[in-house]
Amino acid sequence: MKKFLAITLVLALVVLGVAAKVKPIKLGAVLPLGDITGRQAANAMKLAVKEINAAGGVLGRPLELIIVDDEMNPSKGAAAIDKLATIDKVDFFIGGMSSGVHLAQIPILKKYQKITVWIGAASHLCEKALAGADWYFHLHPWDYQQGAGYAIGWKQILEKYPQVKFDRVFLAYEEGAFGTASYKAYLAMLEQAKQGEGPYVGLVKEFKGESFKSAAFGGGDYRAVLRLAKEWNPDAFIWAGYDADALPMMAQAKEIGFAPPIFIGAPPGWPADFGKSPLSEGVVLYGMWAPSLNKVSPVAEHFYNAYVKEFGEEPATYFAPLGYTNVYFLVEGIKKAGTLEKEALIKALEQVEYESPLGETLKIAPSAVIKHQGFTTQKILQWQNGKQEVIWPFEVQTAEFIYPFPKWEGR
Amino acid sequence: MAETKTHGRHQFTLPLLAIVALILIFIFKPYAVIYGVQRGSLYALIAMPLALTLGIVGILNLAHGDFLTLGAYIAYWIFNSTGLDPLLSIFAVAPLLFVVGAGLYKITVSKVLRAPLLNQLLLTFGIAMILEEVINLIWTSRPRNVYVNYASASASIGGFRFGTYEFSYLLAAVGVLVLLRLFLKHTRLGKAAFAVGQNPKGAKIVGINVEMIYLLIFSISVGIVGIAAGLTLPRMSIFPLFGSPFTLKSFCLAAMAGLGNLTGILWSGLALGIGEALVQSIEGYSGWSDIVFFGVLIAVITIRSYRGSYV
Repeated sequence: MKKFLAITLVLALVVLGVAAKVKPIKLGAVLPLGDITGRQAANAMKLAVKEINAAGGVLGRPLELIIVDDEMNPSKGAAAIDKLATIDKVDFFIGGMSSGVHLAQIPILKKYQKITVWIGAASHLCEKALAGADWYFHLHPWDYQQGAGYAIGWKQILEKYPQVKFDRVFLAYEEGAFGTASYKAYLAMLEQAKQGEGPYVGLVKEFKGESFKSAAFGGGDYRAVLRLAKEWNPDAFIWAGYDADALPMMAQAKEIGFAPPIFIGAPPGWPADFGKSPLSEGVVLYGMWAPSLNKVSPVAEHFYNAYVKEFGEEPATYFAPLGYTNVYFLVEGIKKAGTLEKEALIKALEQVEYESPLGETLKIAPSAVIKHQGFTTQKILQWQNGKQEVIWPFEVQTAEFIYPFPKWEGR
Repeated sequence: MAETKTHGRHQFTLPLLAIVALILIFIFKPYAVIYGVQRGSLYALIAMPLALTLGIVGILNLAHGDFLTLGAYIAYWIFNSTGLDPLLSIFAVAPLLFVVGAGLYKITVSKVLRAPLLNQLLLTFGIAMILEEVINLIWTSRPRNVYVNYASASASIGGFRFGTYEFSYLLAAVGVLVLLRLFLKHTRLGKAAFAVGQNPKGAKIVGINVEMIYLLIFSISVGIVGIAAGLTLPRMSIFPLFGSPFTLKSFCLAAMAGLGNLTGILWSGLALGIGEALVQSIEGYSGWSDIVFFGVLIAVITIRSYRGSYV
């Protein structure tokens, strides 16, 4: 009888031990699933988790991904963090998209102080709210870093292509929060440049801005602002609006015969059919990733092919590779730390160098306010033959810069 | 007699002032007149069917703009599946929307015609929400476009370059207006519909099938939206909320023109379109166009109320 009890006890301990060993590491993601950015980021996270689990997991434990839809709603986004922490009992928070949602989440994140790796929320207001949060890692460049990055990029392009001019810049911005913030950011940076400071020194000599009502909010008539820009005759025309503005903007520019030497579109995403239109040829855009990176980055190529195979669609937004990076970066940190213990993991994440599918190696460094910032610049891309090609950084350039913007005739 | 003379003078003063204002705007801001006429015609084209439903069936259809979205997506789907030009797809989209309108009327709208106004509004609001969500589920929130090069065609008159495609909105608005007026004034069915709009009880007493008229008018209205859907597709991005701002603008035009005044909707659309384009053309003030749009509306309604109470 004693022998039987001893065997049972040993067996029970073994079973419990195995159970404890295979207890998954839980990642709690919050994303807007109704939007393509959130949906594709969620897909890419699932893909990363599947690959990592297929390779044996991390620290001998599988990963479990729990995704909650924030519906781009700040209160739902905040409630999602609470739910993931208390009901799902996740080990880490990942995900993120909108700055407005994130501002509501930050007080809740501070309550739990779990290690958080965030891929969205570019607003400097979020950064300010996260001062001193050493458990927080932010991968997307902050808004002011993006602006500075464009200036660095254009300066290098001017050096490589001396025929390019970037002296007179016209910004057409949608009259809502997104466009107005872009306009104010440009004004602030150009004001700084006048004082001989900041990244725009010596780049832009004259600047003009005018607002328009985005198609996303019932507008869609850009002819007045385009005509104003045409009369001003800029070297570069930038429009900061939404994806719904993209093709009508080009069609109306064609209609009034406005073809500036550099035509830049800066929406958060592009419509499904933009590349199919001949009007897209030569349009410059900013972004963190393009499928053309497959030509120069094996990691990007692997991600792209695996995503297409898994989901039967192309990743259409840089939030897809960013979501994939989100999971892999955290896992690299856990591997390096060899534990989930918070302090050790923070130190390990600070040392991670992850070659991402975004065409650059992700390393953590301090930004203006927070201690743990990942990427700091976006890339300068150009629509060529229906595809987004990388123009800058030159290390990952996939095509030569088409300059000036092609004339409308024949399109 | 003196009163009649004053009234007659007023009758000519307003149009005269409008013509003078138009000439002045054309001299200083010619583009504002062209763009205003083009956009105003689109507003009128979309508003006319809403006004028709409001005037005859007596229901404010808050899903009006969402039928525009649905029509545009159907045209988009036809274009991608068959390559059929969006303008030609109007001949498929308009009858399809007519059928959708008839179905929705029979299943839902007909049940709330005698219900309180709030219930009617809630019902059409519910239809709008369902349409938006279904479209979102099928096509996602990512904007879709159809590119046809004629949609960005332009003409030049002595260095004065302007787009020509949007004049199709004016042609369509005038065409729909003429056909609706012919229908309402010169056909038996139209006359019956007109009578139902004037006095549904009286119409029923004289033997008019009021239910059938309501069904027909609601379906025609939704069908007309299909024409606007096919026309706007080559020119605009479509997404699940694409049509909803047009509901409010259409209601404003209907309110400005007065209940049942279809010709008034065209004039109101043109006036508001030109006003909007004029403000957009003033450097630094383009963001004021909506304020002007709704400001003009409030002014017109207030003046009309004042006149009404005076008379």
